[in-house]
Amino acid sequence: MKPMLKIDEVTRTFHDGDSEITVLNKLSLQVGAGELVAVMGPSGSGKSTFLSIAGALLTPTSGEVAIDGVSLSGMGSHELAELRLKRIGFIFQSANLIPYLKVKEQLLLVAQLAGMPSGEASKRAAALLDRMGLKQRQNYYPDKLSGGEKQRVAIARAWMNSPAVLFADEPTASLDAERGQDVVRMIAEEVKAEGKAAVMVTHDERVLPLCDRVLYLKNGALVEA
Amino acid sequence: MYLALREIRFAKTRYVMIVMIMLLISFLVLFVTGLAKGLAYANASSVKNMAASHFVLQKDSDHRFGRSQLTEEALTTARTVVGDDKATPLNLRMATVTEKGMSLKSDVTLFAIDMTGWLAPKVVEGQGIANDTQGQVLVDRKLKESGIQVGSTLIDQMTGASWTVSGFVANESYSHTPSVFMNEQDWLKLQSFTPVSGQDSSDKTYNAIALKASEDQLAQLRAKLPDSDIISKSDTVSAVPGYKEEQGSLLMMIAFLYIISAMVLAVFFFVITIQKIGQFGILKAIGAKTGYLARNVIGQVLLLSIGSLAVSLGLIRLMYEALPASMPFQLDSSTILLSCSLFIITAVLGSLLSVYKVARTDALDAIGRTAA
Repeated sequence: MKPMLKIDEVTRTFHDGDSEITVLNKLSLQVGAGELVAVMGPSGSGKSTFLSIAGALLTPTSGEVAIDGVSLSGMGSHELAELRLKRIGFIFQSANLIPYLKVKEQLLLVAQLAGMPSGEASKRAAALLDRMGLKQRQNYYPDKLSGGEKQRVAIARAWMNSPAVLFADEPTASLDAERGQDVVRMIAEEVKAEGKAAVMVTHDERVLPLCDRVLYLKNGALVEA
Repeated sequence: MYLALREIRFAKTRYVMIVMIMLLISFLVLFVTGLAKGLAYANASSVKNMAASHFVLQKDSDHRFGRSQLTEEALTTARTVVGDDKATPLNLRMATVTEKGMSLKSDVTLFAIDMTGWLAPKVVEGQGIANDTQGQVLVDRKLKESGIQVGSTLIDQMTGASWTVSGFVANESYSHTPSVFMNEQDWLKLQSFTPVSGQDSSDKTYNAIALKASEDQLAQLRAKLPDSDIISKSDTVSAVPGYKEEQGSLLMMIAFLYIISAMVLAVFFFVITIQKIGQFGILKAIGAKTGYLARNVIGQVLLLSIGSLAVSLGLIRLMYEALPASMPFQLDSSTILLSCSLFIITAVLGSLLSVYKVARTDALDAIGRTAA
């Protein structure tokens, strides 16, 4: 089966004054459809760098990243933005919703950016919000939502354009245990239901049972637990 | 504009305050512009109203009517070049007049013109005068405020000459003094009170010759009248005493208002943009392009500036109705259009700093704010 996300021997180095720091060292990873992978690691192990490279925000020093069979190498910033918009979904640490958009508009915005017809976008947004249990909240501003609700809106927003791969950056960090479980369960369910791939960087061991695979970032590479 | 509109809807108070400030500035810009135009018109409306395209003045007269003196030969020459009906002589002199039986004095500008020619002003009240009437003048309506009416007698302070007001004309002034129009006959009589030594007072001289001429004719005329300057009407207007100085200071005020509005907008939007850097990072990570975000920033600025301009145009309209007649105010549609477009351009220029900030925002900011 074709992997949704394929990372092949990716190395990333940073310059710090005269010395060179290797954050990622020939890291490889394949995630297939319907798979939720958790990536753990201590602070400073390069989790953010890994997520930025896999999520087409940062270019690796060497190696190759392919999303849904499309290689990212050689793409310009405009093409990368287009790819992030249509093929990648992001969920950030704190939901990072746009404060002046109502819940449903958060979803409609990304659909509009991707050029989805408004009728279709409205239908899909309604369906996603319904699945996330946010039907009653669709005309609320983010500041009226609880932490768990905000994160659920962020998940719905990430799925809005049916991306091939979903990246989550510590989605449970700002939530209590129970809400955290709910959020990750919802991600897992969507991954299975839509046949997509998801990579979640997390510190939260309580959500690991919901993941298909757990990997640790050590010395710039991913190892199985 | 999706984001721009929704943000305004969400943060109403903030944007209402910005609109208020833009409203006040744009109102001030339009008001001072109208005042400058009004003063310009009130200053030299007699010259501006003349249907002439150019004027012939004596060389080295600094474009000023009062300093120029032309002979009758110059008029004849001009007439042979442009045609009899396209050149007409003009005399003027500043004077102080008193109404008979009253002590109130008024400074006026006396104009002597051909009352049947195209320089003759339109009478709005009373009777017009002909070239053969004696001791009759047309005066600007502003003199009404000094108690002068049709039939009043005006006495020139310096010569003691007196004239009867035959009618009123509207919007006729020169160097902020009301204009008084008389025919050539009365002018010659006035000149005879103040003879110039060594010069026969029956010799006709003119301050200027008003022309309606084509470029071709002007070139011919310049060759035939080497001792004269032939200048356009607008050059003559700016040479009216006090005109350039007055317009200069008003123009400086207007220019500063534009600079201030650009600065205020730049600072406002820059601060707001800096507050939103995090959001822009998120939007870029999600896949929004810089162009889209920049369009929203500029769209917002355009919307706010056009909105506040519309309101201030309404206020200007109300203000115009309420202004007393003694306060000259003039704002024609082409000036409004120019001022408004300039204001919008400065607003957009002011927002460019914010656009630059948006362009520099890195999508990477969105990832791992706490993690390494």
